[in-house]
Amino acid sequence: MMRKFLGIGAPPDPAAVDRGQKLFVANCAFCHGSTANGGATGPDLVRSVVVLHDQGTGKDIGQVVLNGRPDKGMPKFNMTEAQIKDIAAFLLSRTQAAANRGSYEIQNIVTGDAKAGETYFNAHCSSCHSPSGDLAHIAAKYDPVALQSRFLYPRDRRAFGTEGPPPNPKSEITVKVTLASGQSYEGRLDHIDDFSVALVEPSGEYHSWLLDAEKGIKVEVHNPLQAHADMLPEYTNADMHNILAYLEKLK
Amino acid sequence: MKLNRISFLLALLYVPACLFGQALNPATILHPPKDTWPTYNGDYSGKRFSQLTQINSTNVKDLKLAWEYQAETGDSNPFGTEIKATPLQVNGVLYFTLPDHVWAIDARTGHQIWHYKWKSQGGIHIGNRGVGIYNNWLFFETPDDHLVSLEKDTGKFRWAVQIADLAQEYFSTAAPLVIGNHILVGVGGDSLDVPGFLEARDPETGAVQWHWDTEPKPGQPGSETWPNTDAMGHGGGMTWISGTYDPELNLIYWGTGNPNPVHAGQGRKGSNLWTCSIVALNPDTGKMAWYYQVSPHDTHDYDAVQTPVLFDGVIDGHKRKLLAQASRNGYFFVLDRTNGKHIVTAPYIDLTWSKGTDANGAPIPNPDKEPKPDGALVSPASGGGTNWPPPSFDPETGLFYVNADYSFSVFYLTDTSAHPEGFAGRDAGIWSQSMLKAIDYKTGRIRWSHKYRVEEGSEGSGVLTTAGKLVFSGDPAGNLIAFEAATGKILWHAGLASSVSNGPITYELDGRQYLIVAGGPTIYAFTLPE
Repeated sequence: MMRKFLGIGAPPDPAAVDRGQKLFVANCAFCHGSTANGGATGPDLVRSVVVLHDQGTGKDIGQVVLNGRPDKGMPKFNMTEAQIKDIAAFLLSRTQAAANRGSYEIQNIVTGDAKAGETYFNAHCSSCHSPSGDLAHIAAKYDPVALQSRFLYPRDRRAFGTEGPPPNPKSEITVKVTLASGQSYEGRLDHIDDFSVALVEPSGEYHSWLLDAEKGIKVEVHNPLQAHADMLPEYTNADMHNILAYLEKLK
Repeated sequence: MKLNRISFLLALLYVPACLFGQALNPATILHPPKDTWPTYNGDYSGKRFSQLTQINSTNVKDLKLAWEYQAETGDSNPFGTEIKATPLQVNGVLYFTLPDHVWAIDARTGHQIWHYKWKSQGGIHIGNRGVGIYNNWLFFETPDDHLVSLEKDTGKFRWAVQIADLAQEYFSTAAPLVIGNHILVGVGGDSLDVPGFLEARDPETGAVQWHWDTEPKPGQPGSETWPNTDAMGHGGGMTWISGTYDPELNLIYWGTGNPNPVHAGQGRKGSNLWTCSIVALNPDTGKMAWYYQVSPHDTHDYDAVQTPVLFDGVIDGHKRKLLAQASRNGYFFVLDRTNGKHIVTAPYIDLTWSKGTDANGAPIPNPDKEPKPDGALVSPASGGGTNWPPPSFDPETGLFYVNADYSFSVFYLTDTSAHPEGFAGRDAGIWSQSMLKAIDYKTGRIRWSHKYRVEEGSEGSGVLTTAGKLVFSGDPAGNLIAFEAATGKILWHAGLASSVSNGPITYELDGRQYLIVAGGPTIYAFTLPE
């Protein structure tokens, strides 16, 4: 899906990429670097206009490989058409990897001090959460990036282009609607905006109101996650990393 | 028989003469009549303020749907079918776009007149902001980086010219801006660290008249804000939202995008001119008169392309020619547009990425809040305090209206090498709250703020103000809302099938004032009952 959003073409044949990588490392890496990002004497090829126009065909790259660039100190290489195509496939995989930000791997994010995280947790989180109760084995359920997002605000949020974690029924927003008559309804918030509210009662019954049409209507929203939103401006990066390090111990 | 044939030919000639509208003389855009909306922002100022008062604060409650038109593309776009274009209205015809598509529909009835489809070679299809019109010719940009010209009355293809290189991951979404005989075209694309630029093209041929680069060349002033030629040559700074124009000063004002690689600053130490800047250029030569950088050394994708809105105001008792921008970085700026001198900087949402502002009013980035391998929690999120949806300025209230998001992302640096490439990082959106803000231009203080009673934030809707003392915009729940301009009181709303996805416009035809908005694939027209 991410490739489609970013308008990135079909990936090259993995076997060709593999062969191309070996050829590249043996013949080209000395100047261009083993990942083609450029080296001491050769330019970066990942963002090279020639490579980008080649599109994995070997046509544009072949000209340069076979003829060299004597003016810039690049020698000729005696390669077969098939070898050049393999190198072109490897370079296409490199440019696609750089262009496809959905594929970037986030590095180790469990860098904090678990002890400090525990202290923070006990001071700020323990009135609602318990490491042996609702958070038992939490680190086994989510990878560290998902867990970091979820403790900041535990909802179905996700990094752009990735699958999000499943929604948590505990984070359900509820609402109490009291009409002028005094009759009241309570349940899961289905919809709210400046003009209407809708809820689903525990029985499954659905109710909705237009606020303008219902004089004296009182709407009380209870968001169990509000404390998480209120905390967002308070965390330092160290707090965030320490809390994650602590939660990661709850495997 | 012979006679019959002649009258048949005459009839053929006559019919088109009736159907064909008048040409849009570019001089008309300098003082647009009330029965037209001839350019992206309605006029060159970017105020999106209409003098029309038929629909006003006392009768807006009676506003009714006059017609609607649903755009069918016949193709599938991974981004969905969302009209982000501000329609142009010329001679009773509305012109609007989706990526690769242009429509002309009757501005009174919504009936389709023509539909043009461009055969695409690819590119990111995230959106298209609309068309530019010069005499009888229409211009639009495509995801595969062409400027296409059509005959505005028939949708007939005239020519297409390439404006950027698709292979380098450029893509184009901007609405071309017509100034005199210049078609100004901006470009986009930040997947592979390409340099941004702005061009003026010839309306007859599409040929380049001038080319302005977002980055300086080695040795030129500004080059000292980059560590080396390679970083400067891959520095980004896209020009994807139409700018504004002051004909008296003969200057255009354009916002530039974020530097590249987007999230990695280690390979481009320095302030990275002229990315994330407001620049003033001569429209005849492309020569830069001044610049003001609103986000030095950005690493959060806070591009500064938001409309630089032009108005005259009074600062400390003196009449001044001003420019204001509610920038994606969460700050509101007011500058003197004759020389770029700074007047006001004030945050319009709570933000955490900067340590405050320097003597020149420019924010000072907080290094702690730059993307980190293990994450940095930052407000605003990468989508910004606001994004591309156009704001509005009402000269009668003196308020600048913008749909804003208070939001947080965790920014991760994924490429920690000395020579990072591509986006080089990613972010996880955590939380957001959408609201409409009314900002006093003299101080940057918030006069009123309406927090939408909706759980989720969104990309936001554009804003229109009118002399009817009204502000029109949309909430993330799909409501089109009329606010009282001075107070923010809600006076009217209509539930649409999708949230308002463009900047609303208004015009008067046959004595009736129309309000036009897009929501998803649909154009809606509202009027008062006859």
